[in-house]
Amino acid sequence: MDKLEEQTKFTKKELQVLYRGFKNECPCGVVNEENFKNIYSQFFPQGDSSMYAHFLFEAFDTNKNGSVSFEDFVFGLSIILRGTINDRLNWAFNLYDLNKDGCITKEEMLDIMKSIYDMMGKYTHPTMIDDAPREHVESFFQKMDQNRDGVVTIDEFIDSCKKDENIMQSMQLFDNVI
Amino acid sequence: MAAGVAAWLPFARAAAIGWMPVASTPMPIPPQDKRKAQDGFIILNVSGTKFQTWRTTLERYPDTLLGSTERDFFFHEETSEYFFDRDPDIFRHILNFYRTGKLHYPRQECISAYDEELAFFGIIPEIIGDCCYEEYKDRRRENAERLQDDEEMDMSNDVTPVNLTFREYLWRAFENPHTSTLALVFYYVTGFFIAISVMANVVETVPCGTLPNRSKEVSCGERYALAFFCLDTACVMIFTVEYLLRLIAAPSRCKFMKSVMSVIDVVAIMPYYIGLVMTDNDQVSGAFVTLRVFRVFRIFKFSRHSAGLRILGYTLKSCASELGFLLFSLTMAIIIFATVMFYAEKGSTATKFTSIPAAFWYTIVTMTTLGF
Repeated sequence: MDKLEEQTKFTKKELQVLYRGFKNECPCGVVNEENFKNIYSQFFPQGDSSMYAHFLFEAFDTNKNGSVSFEDFVFGLSIILRGTINDRLNWAFNLYDLNKDGCITKEEMLDIMKSIYDMMGKYTHPTMIDDAPREHVESFFQKMDQNRDGVVTIDEFIDSCKKDENIMQSMQLFDNVI
Repeated sequence: MAAGVAAWLPFARAAAIGWMPVASTPMPIPPQDKRKAQDGFIILNVSGTKFQTWRTTLERYPDTLLGSTERDFFFHEETSEYFFDRDPDIFRHILNFYRTGKLHYPRQECISAYDEELAFFGIIPEIIGDCCYEEYKDRRRENAERLQDDEEMDMSNDVTPVNLTFREYLWRAFENPHTSTLALVFYYVTGFFIAISVMANVVETVPCGTLPNRSKEVSCGERYALAFFCLDTACVMIFTVEYLLRLIAAPSRCKFMKSVMSVIDVVAIMPYYIGLVMTDNDQVSGAFVTLRVFRVFRIFKFSRHSAGLRILGYTLKSCASELGFLLFSLTMAIIIFATVMFYAEKGSTATKFTSIPAAFWYTIVTMTTLGF
């Protein structure tokens, strides 16, 4: 646990609480995708969160072995909750980039958007119309894609996010989560 | 389940990073956990056996005794632990419920003791996990039936209340023959007459030698017809009187008339009266003969005299659904095989299976391994 404490930015106590919760839910010590989707859907009962949970799972599972161990879990959490703005944006980019090739295409973004809309269910604001994900993707790309080449690279992403007030503000919220 | 998953709340909040860059409006601030519960040990001393758990474990279920402030009533200052004067073995399961979210029912514990403990700790039994729920429900039902029976027995074994009306006295005499000598006498007399009646029915049919002007052997019933008729009349009169007296004495006449014993009584004496009304009418004499068969049901009147017979009756009643299912599956099998046999022999001409019902007899005889 000392090693974990060094590598992540959590205190011993926080690690203990996290581990106990983790082990309670998955007595065998690793989460597989089924379990992950299950746990996640309990937090978002109003919509279908399985796609988004799948993308999240891919993002957490850094060594691509099909299961998330406690180390993976805690690393991911540490970046999101205790990392710098850059780290967090990096992690978000990693989440969006489904094939991990360094750039987000419109199709990838569309998939992500649809999964988010599915998860929100009836609680999207404004209320969802069928084409809303596509339009949302368009506006997202307009904002992020500076050189208009159809894909968003990591630098374009970080740059445009830093310029956006709302996004910066939202990122601050993570500081108080645990 | 929700209890354990609450530990993953930070994770769920963290996952929100996924849609933040995409959102068009800034996110609402997540609610601050007002009570940052300091996680400490709680020691629960149950009749000397010490259990320890985290405070947050107990607080997962705030509507139970241990999860709410109600437990403070049991706080023991000197040892700074919570003391409960209850059964530690059952408490183990209750504490496991807090830990795992699943309530189990241990088979070796008494169901009423378990229920009491659950009630004390404010846990509703309906949340018992699927693994143990069947067992729990079965035991509960058994227990309820047993208690009901015990109650009825207790009520009937009460000390003689004074000032009974004649009707109530009569009913008590009928139901509990050992309460007074008269009742006991009546009990034995009816028992004796039931036996006589049944034996007469049996002896009637024994061949008794030949009549002087006939060569054929006749049964005793025909030879001493008058004697048997008088015997039958006497028995039926006693049974009728008994039935009427019971009817008068019954606290609830409708309920009495619907009870099994009274139906048996009626069936036992009806053939005689119908016979009186219907004599010398050849057309219905066939039916009349059939009615005499019902006289054999007098033997069931013995169940008032024998607890064993009553238990047999209860057993059959409680297994009624299983027996019914057995019958049903046998019927299904009979129909299937009769159909098969019928169609198998449809081609040949000299076959006894002229129709499917005609094949039923063969199938039944074969399936019950009689084989004639």
